[in-house]
Amino acid sequence: MSPVLELKGLGVSLRRGGRDVPVLDRISLAIAPGEMAALVGESGSGKSVTALAVMRLLPEGALLAGQILLEGEDIAQASESRLRALRGKRAAMVFQNPLAALNPTRTVAAQIGEVWRMHEGGGRRAARARALDLLAEVGIPDPAARLDDYPHQFSGGMRQRVMIAMALACAPRLLIADEPTAGLDPPRARQIMELLARLRRERDMAVLFVTHDLALVEREADAIHVLYAGEMVEWGAARAFFAHPRHPYSEALLGAVPHLGQARLRSIPGSLPEPEARPPGCRFAPRCARAEEICGRARPPADVAGNTVAACFFPLPAAARAGLAAAPAPPRVFPPLLEIKGLSVRYPAPGGWLGRRRLAPALEGISLTLGRGECLGVVGESGSGKSTLGRAVLQMIGYEGEMSLEGESLARMTPAARRAARRRLQPVFQDPRESLNPRMRVGEIIAEPLRLQGGLSRAARAARVEALLAQVGLSAAIAARYPGAVSGGQAQRIAIARALAPGPALVVLDEPGSALDVSTQAMLLNLLKDLGRRHGLTYLFISHDLAAVSTMADRIAVLRAGRMIELAETAALIAQPRHEYTRALIAAAAPGP
Amino acid sequence: MRQGVTSWLGRRPGRHGTLAAGLGLAGLVLFCGFIAPFLYPADPYAIHPAQALRPPSRLFPLGTDELGRDALALLLSGGFSTLAVALPAAALAFLTGAAYGFAAGLGPLWLDKALMRLLDVALALPGLIVLLFFAALVPQTNLNLILLLGLISWPGLARLVRNEARAQRGRDFILAAEQAGASRAYLALVHLSRIVAPVLVVNATFMTGDAILSLSALSFLGLGVQPPQESWGSLLESGLSLAALNPWWLILPPGLLIFAALLAAAMTGQGLLTSWQGDA
Repeated sequence: MSPVLELKGLGVSLRRGGRDVPVLDRISLAIAPGEMAALVGESGSGKSVTALAVMRLLPEGALLAGQILLEGEDIAQASESRLRALRGKRAAMVFQNPLAALNPTRTVAAQIGEVWRMHEGGGRRAARARALDLLAEVGIPDPAARLDDYPHQFSGGMRQRVMIAMALACAPRLLIADEPTAGLDPPRARQIMELLARLRRERDMAVLFVTHDLALVEREADAIHVLYAGEMVEWGAARAFFAHPRHPYSEALLGAVPHLGQARLRSIPGSLPEPEARPPGCRFAPRCARAEEICGRARPPADVAGNTVAACFFPLPAAARAGLAAAPAPPRVFPPLLEIKGLSVRYPAPGGWLGRRRLAPALEGISLTLGRGECLGVVGESGSGKSTLGRAVLQMIGYEGEMSLEGESLARMTPAARRAARRRLQPVFQDPRESLNPRMRVGEIIAEPLRLQGGLSRAARAARVEALLAQVGLSAAIAARYPGAVSGGQAQRIAIARALAPGPALVVLDEPGSALDVSTQAMLLNLLKDLGRRHGLTYLFISHDLAAVSTMADRIAVLRAGRMIELAETAALIAQPRHEYTRALIAAAAPGP
Repeated sequence: MRQGVTSWLGRRPGRHGTLAAGLGLAGLVLFCGFIAPFLYPADPYAIHPAQALRPPSRLFPLGTDELGRDALALLLSGGFSTLAVALPAAALAFLTGAAYGFAAGLGPLWLDKALMRLLDVALALPGLIVLLFFAALVPQTNLNLILLLGLISWPGLARLVRNEARAQRGRDFILAAEQAGASRAYLALVHLSRIVAPVLVVNATFMTGDAILSLSALSFLGLGVQPPQESWGSLLESGLSLAALNPWWLILPPGLLIFAALLAAAMTGQGLLTSWQGDA
């Protein structure tokens, strides 16, 4: 069967600072009809550039090398008018952020119909019928009633389905999905993945699925292509790849993906090289444990074994992946630190007018006790109230009910005592960039809690900042930089150092790793675990990622629609979930078919 | 890394050209107002009836007015009184606007609502008309002029600062600072002022231009700086009143200096804005 898409030696250079910087080299792959190929890589690997290159949507000044064969036709040098005829009709794309990709002022029927009418002609009524069929096909409940809705009236997952329906309007032969599940929680991400898998079978369509999330593609992808620093390092049949990853980078990447009940995550030392500073030989060599002298010098050969190919001098033997699940540690006993009794939070609901503001409950009747030195995981989908719980614990928002820190009611403290107590409750937020003032130097950011606390001289603060930086594994030199000049992983370490500065008793981790790449997240979770043990910290670890939580938490609380539906020791919760919903979460987090 | 440095140097003149030109022009205007009067010590109020309305000559570099006063000396002393009123007025407007904006943006909701409704009223009133109304009511001492001009032009900045503060206050780094015990004043002075610095500085330059223009307009209408003091606006007016005799030496210099002052303010503001957009 001839492939729908074939890339032959695709290379891309982008114009940066007046120079052509090669960002992608020698990408070759083929996708047959009905096949789903996953293009996997961390941020900066070049995976999105590949997707844009196939659609010829690269920014001005980009240079293309090699061939892009769409059903046998080389479109690498095709004219803009030819491309317009192809885009949407024979190849369509689903973008990362559907809210940005959809027009907010037009109904979904109009937008889906428009694509079809543009390519196929046809009247308004026919286009509307077509839109209805498509919305039904992508699994929008009661599609007829939703034709005239606007994009903002759909939830995140449903909006992505609308995008997919729009992409399918002209029955394309190739569908490119660029991180279509970014921003969705795991159950919804999984549903989108399953939808794409079903569509490719039913329509015999080729799918190029671009993602950073290996765990997501494990069940459905037919082929895997792992990208590192602009090159393919390993590719082949998905089943063989997941059973025996052979490139050291693939193996490390798989090890960094949190699995249920895993005690410690693999992390990869160092960081991805910038396109301007890529090493001459194997690009992974500087971070590779198996690297030898030749790896730094020469380009590695393509090593074929069975159904996968690894570009490596010393590929891993085809042995099964190392066993991951560790024996669960015996439950520990913790003296109580923070007691929460009957906690409820209400937010003003939309629709209220002037004085008549209705209050919608975000959390209801939460009672639990956090032990000193314990890590309590809180999991739930978006909107379950888990972040609200974190903010209430931090005393950032008003609440009903009782919370006492070391036996003292926080609500009944004097303002001064409450301020002092709040310093002992520190946050680490999801997006490290958002949590650091872009116009303050790193040293100033970490010193801020000390400065506000008072009592330390400037020199003493500087010394403390240096010690804190060392604790989170950063060099003292970074103190002089601005947040814009550090990587995402470094920024999150800086945020952790700031949280540790006032000597907190409890740290609320609100999705601390989910804005980062898996290998960076692994490094971060390991760091948090070590810091917690060393300083006897108590963590409230909030995440939608049950697997990530299970690697750190002693106990896990499951939240749904503002209520706590289950609370148990981690091992017990995973082994014997009592609630139906918990079972679904575990199924979504479990690896493999 | 190397490439980064060279491209930064390569772009530098273009990026900072406007700023440099604006600052240079501002320096020239300030020089005329504050330094030149001492370098050219002729008495602006000395009358030479025999020399009335003469074009520039060796004795009077910019000619004389209809009373025979030295036009250059008048221009320089007029510059001093213009700037001595306009600059403090701009500073007053700036401080009022920023403080009002921060108070509304960071304060409790009821305060925000109250301050914003008041601001709507202030914005709804046409500035120049209000200015004329009050200028006609109170004696035109320099202090009164500073207060009047200062209290007329702050609402625009107040709204900008308030909106910016509202938009920023829910951001994680603000929450983190509050968790560490930061007061609202601390948030405004340490965190938000840096985030809104471009807005603040650019507006400060525009407000300076505005103040000079408003004062010139008032002076032109005879409600500004009072005789025997002159200002660029009043000099322009007296020159224009003799337009039939075409005394260009009385009309062009004050007109050009008002124009230069406005241009300096606008270019400095624009230049600062572009140079800030460069570093993120």
